[in-house]
Amino acid sequence: MKNKLMHLSNETMNIGFVKKVEALSGSSVRRCFQCGKCSAGCPMSTFMEHPPNRVVRLLQLGQGQRILAGRSIWYCASCETCTTRCPNKVDLAAIMDALRKLSWDADGPSKESYVQLANRLFIENIRTYGRQYELRLGAAFNMKSGQFLKDLMLGPKLISKGKLKMFHSKNKNIAEIEGIFKRIEEMRKKGEAL
Amino acid sequence: MSRIGVFVCHCGENISRTVDVEQVAKAAGEIPGVAYSCDYKYMCSDPGQTLLKKAVAEHKLDGVLVAACSPRMHEKTFRKAAEAAGLNPYLCEMANIREHCSWVHEDRDMATAKAKDIVKLMVERVRKGKSLAPITVPVTKRALVIGGGIAGIQAALDVADAGHHVIMVERDPSIGGHMAQLSETFPTLDCSQCIMTPKMVDVANHPNITLYTYSEIEKVEGYIGNFQVTVKHKARSVDESKCTGCGVCMTKCPKKKIPNEFDQGHGMRPAIYVPFPQAVPNTPVIDRENCTMFQSGKCGVCAKVCGPGAVDYEQKDTFTVEDVGAIVVATGFKLYTIDRKPEGSPIQGYGEFGYGTIPDIIDGMTFERLASASGPTGGKILRPSDGKEPKQVVFIQCVGSRAREKGISYCSKVCCMYTAKHTMLYHHKVHDGQAYVFFMDARTPGKGYDEFWRRAVEEEEAVYIRGMVSRMYQRGDKIVVMGSDIQVGTQVEIEADLVVLATAVQPQDGADLLAQKLGISYDKYNFYSEAHAKLKPVECATAGIYLAGACQGPKDIPDTVSQASAAAAKVMTLFAKDKLERDPVVAKVNEKYCVGCFACKKVCAYGAIEEKEIRDRQGNLVKKVAYVNPGVCGGCGTCQATCPSKSIELDGYTDEQIMAMIEAL
Repeated sequence: MKNKLMHLSNETMNIGFVKKVEALSGSSVRRCFQCGKCSAGCPMSTFMEHPPNRVVRLLQLGQGQRILAGRSIWYCASCETCTTRCPNKVDLAAIMDALRKLSWDADGPSKESYVQLANRLFIENIRTYGRQYELRLGAAFNMKSGQFLKDLMLGPKLISKGKLKMFHSKNKNIAEIEGIFKRIEEMRKKGEAL
Repeated sequence: MSRIGVFVCHCGENISRTVDVEQVAKAAGEIPGVAYSCDYKYMCSDPGQTLLKKAVAEHKLDGVLVAACSPRMHEKTFRKAAEAAGLNPYLCEMANIREHCSWVHEDRDMATAKAKDIVKLMVERVRKGKSLAPITVPVTKRALVIGGGIAGIQAALDVADAGHHVIMVERDPSIGGHMAQLSETFPTLDCSQCIMTPKMVDVANHPNITLYTYSEIEKVEGYIGNFQVTVKHKARSVDESKCTGCGVCMTKCPKKKIPNEFDQGHGMRPAIYVPFPQAVPNTPVIDRENCTMFQSGKCGVCAKVCGPGAVDYEQKDTFTVEDVGAIVVATGFKLYTIDRKPEGSPIQGYGEFGYGTIPDIIDGMTFERLASASGPTGGKILRPSDGKEPKQVVFIQCVGSRAREKGISYCSKVCCMYTAKHTMLYHHKVHDGQAYVFFMDARTPGKGYDEFWRRAVEEEEAVYIRGMVSRMYQRGDKIVVMGSDIQVGTQVEIEADLVVLATAVQPQDGADLLAQKLGISYDKYNFYSEAHAKLKPVECATAGIYLAGACQGPKDIPDTVSQASAAAAKVMTLFAKDKLERDPVVAKVNEKYCVGCFACKKVCAYGAIEEKEIRDRQGNLVKKVAYVNPGVCGGCGTCQATCPSKSIELDGYTDEQIMAMIEAL
């Protein structure tokens, strides 16, 4: 897919998809003139088959499917370095968010990486405890991803240094946090949120 | 014994880097007759010139030698300084130890030795130098403008508005040039015709402008302030004084299917025609090669229908000689074509694009005509092959330009902007169409230019693809464009309905021949050369001739108009004085020794040598000798080298001086 010959025509360029990305992210992709500053500063760029500038370039050519077929969007750490430094005010972090959402909507969880799994468990963890309970997050991730012994030996070290708590302490305002989640679910149903 | 002062310049580090200037100054001081020598960081600076003036007064110098750069750079500067100090300016000379020494050598010792030698021999030249007085010549306050495009029009109007008479010579039947062909102009998208035609009419109506269309420069003689230009008026076959421009002849002409050059061959015109309806003058011309009357002697319809009887089949080419003081050259450009070029041509065509055999691959100027309301399609974008509206249009930049292998290595400067404009025009006219642009770089320096390009991309939805097209071929009624997107790193294929090439800007045909007539220099592409790339961008090295527009190099309209006005300002500066001072470095004949062989006359490139009769008191012819017209002499010295009896000499470069220089070595 990466290097496949690209046919360009009104039929092969999926401009509708690009318009969706632009609407969701609130950022124009046409503004980008391919200076490469986003990719220059991206900490994850070396892991991506399409570095950030090329993700925008492919969107400019209506080639969303090429982006979704890869893992670039899942490697994005949402650090927003790209957005901060872009000379043309292209909000690349928001575009990456939008692409992840559209990818999820279209294909469900990506088989490419465990990023989505980690994201989902992270959110569920917060919903349950009102704050992060890392030990459980780590355990749940290892169980669900099938890598039972991953990073196990780090546990005692982190616990002894107080970086990882053995027992969780629930947030007092857990009901209000649940309210936030409910509200976002409502908005999603109405299409007001990602 | 002479008292010469030698001033050695460091030129910052340009000279002192490789030449030990202190040693050179010291060695100069030891030459007999040198009363003073010194070195200084920047002799041309104000303190440097003051140093020179002070030294002349303090040391009572009777000659000055400045060892620095080329005399072409600063001879005037130092001669002025010497004059201010009370010396005759021609007793100030320059020893070139920069271009001829420090810049071309690396070995410090050897370069220093060479610099010393150069100074030594130039000291001898100063010693044998004579005081000279500048020659004054009258200035004819009429200007000639060659070319009636926007450059020529602007220059002519500016000079004419200043109150001087202008003669404009245009090769084509109408003035207007390429700008009249354009549809809309970047970066404001104003209609080219709307801003151009009023200026054309101004030229025709201006009391100070004599307009010669369908005319060419035949011969140029003379020199700054006093040119004699022979203009050839090609036979129009229509009497301009009688023709009312009613146009009946054009409508009645039975031969109507001749491709119109003005529409890049896409519209049709009759054999008697004006190139376009807004032509100035609105007088038709008969294209004799396509006219039935001229080819077979039968027809004569136009003469029969012409009310005022202006059609004249017997008309011949005529010639007039015009006296002018200055010449503005504004001959413009032509566009490169991708056709197969003749064997051995340094410039090549594009085989990979089909050598121009695919009808729907057009150039930018053709697209202008398609987009123009006055064009062959009435402003509709329709492709040439079948007249259909193209839905996928591919634009390709840098065709010919920046293609060393094809023979042109320069950037044509205007294509990035006009291609952006084309995508906009297309988007405005074909809403469901898609424009693609293959480009290497978008070069858009200029006021409002980059914003214009970005507008094409961001608002007018042109898809710009960085990368070039490797091949194009016809498949059915489509053109397959095989290119690459180097940002994505993939090959790209587009099935296009129409392809528009931004072909390179080249000098007009015959630009080299005109340059030879004018005696001005041109580069390997036939673009005319300015005297100095930065400080004399509108002057030719030949005095009294100025450049405007794309004949000097690719230029857009704002740059062309600016340069044309600059050239006009130079002409006005020349015309501000009644007399012109000329360098007195001219040849003089020793009539006593001249035997009248006139070998000098044969070799003189300027035509400055005349025959002069010497008579005794009774009026009997004693002998004929050569005479040099000081106003015409270019001071090249060819006559001096040729003269067998050594009776002709160039002031400032006399045999005595040159022999002394050789002996000094």
